[in-house]
Amino acid sequence: MTDPNHAATTNPEAILKAQKRRNAWLALALVAFVVIVGVSTALRIQETDFSGGDRLYFSGYMDEAASEKADREAQERIAARQAEAAAEAEEQGDE
Amino acid sequence: MSVDMTAQESSPKLATAGDYIELMKPRIMMLVVFTALAGLVAAIGVTGQGVNPVLATVAILAVALGSGAAGAINMWYDADIDAIMTRTSVRPIPSGAVPRDEALTMGLIMSAVSVLLMWIASNVLAAGLLALSIAYYGWFYTMVLKRRTAQNIVIGGAAGAFPPVIGWAAVTGTTPLDAWILFAIIFVWTPPHFWALSLVAHKEYEKAGVPMLPVTSGAKATRLQMLLYTIALIPVGLAPLATGLGGMIYAIVAGLLTVGFLYFAVKVWRSRAGEPDAGDAERKLAMSMFAFSILFLFGLFAALIIEHGFGLYFAIGGI
Repeated sequence: MTDPNHAATTNPEAILKAQKRRNAWLALALVAFVVIVGVSTALRIQETDFSGGDRLYFSGYMDEAASEKADREAQERIAARQAEAAAEAEEQGDE
Repeated sequence: MSVDMTAQESSPKLATAGDYIELMKPRIMMLVVFTALAGLVAAIGVTGQGVNPVLATVAILAVALGSGAAGAINMWYDADIDAIMTRTSVRPIPSGAVPRDEALTMGLIMSAVSVLLMWIASNVLAAGLLALSIAYYGWFYTMVLKRRTAQNIVIGGAAGAFPPVIGWAAVTGTTPLDAWILFAIIFVWTPPHFWALSLVAHKEYEKAGVPMLPVTSGAKATRLQMLLYTIALIPVGLAPLATGLGGMIYAIVAGLLTVGFLYFAVKVWRSRAGEPDAGDAERKLAMSMFAFSILFLFGLFAALIIEHGFGLYFAIGGI
């Protein structure tokens, strides 16, 4: 299990250097996390219609009636696409 | 934890960024991200619901982090058996690069961060499903199933099947039949995919005491199970055509890849792959099936992304 990339070391300087490098990565990750949360929250606030009863982080189709409506609309869209495809095929057949 | 893990403590090694990335199982993460993206894109295409691209990116990032977190927890728990098997002995924990406790801490923190990000970027259902999938892999598969039953891969396969459902839920806040069809494809695909690899590595699993099917029931029974699951995958893989989720491109890709997968399954079933007297040709055959299985899943989900993400959906059926 000797891996040349992971040479064992007891050199305090090398250990400290590696520790500092890890800390820098951690700091970067924390900053990225804060930025992502901030940007996402701002976008969600912009997109949420509070006057229409939406709640931040619970908006979308979380209630059964809205969920059924979304599914029904999706099925209607698929049916329309299929009807279009069938009509096109029929037209090509006539030609 | 029967293996002494003190080697890493007596010889401290300097971990690189690559070790921490390796801890997150990047190859699995790529497949997870890809299938989640397919679920997300298909949901947009089918429902016509718009989604902010930045929030969609954050949702996919959350899935990637969740996958990495589950991988880190898995490596933390399995460090003892990883040290025994040659293939896994170079992983960050058994090689001494990353201390076990650090891997667990990283896994737990990343789990929390990923679920939180998913919730912020999409909705509580997607976040809940992500939390469930992390727990399913990190706890249920790793700590409960893997060392107890030969069906570990079958039941545990559900963990890897969640990403497209999460992607779908992130867009719509619902999980309709189409999303669960994508789940079923990965669920039924996992056993023949993984057993192809374990036919080659069964001695290692035996050495580590992991009851993979070739270890408990033998290579012949495993090859038969692989064939049966591949046959079961035919209707499941073609199911998107029945609901209208898959169009013309999906039909062509799925048709060709299904024939190919079945070809390999029959060939492996008729071979002596995994037997003590198996030669290099059998080993190569099993590995070819393993590689083709990855191509199979990639092809199916890529077809969905092309159809729904690039406006190339041409309907051919649907109920």
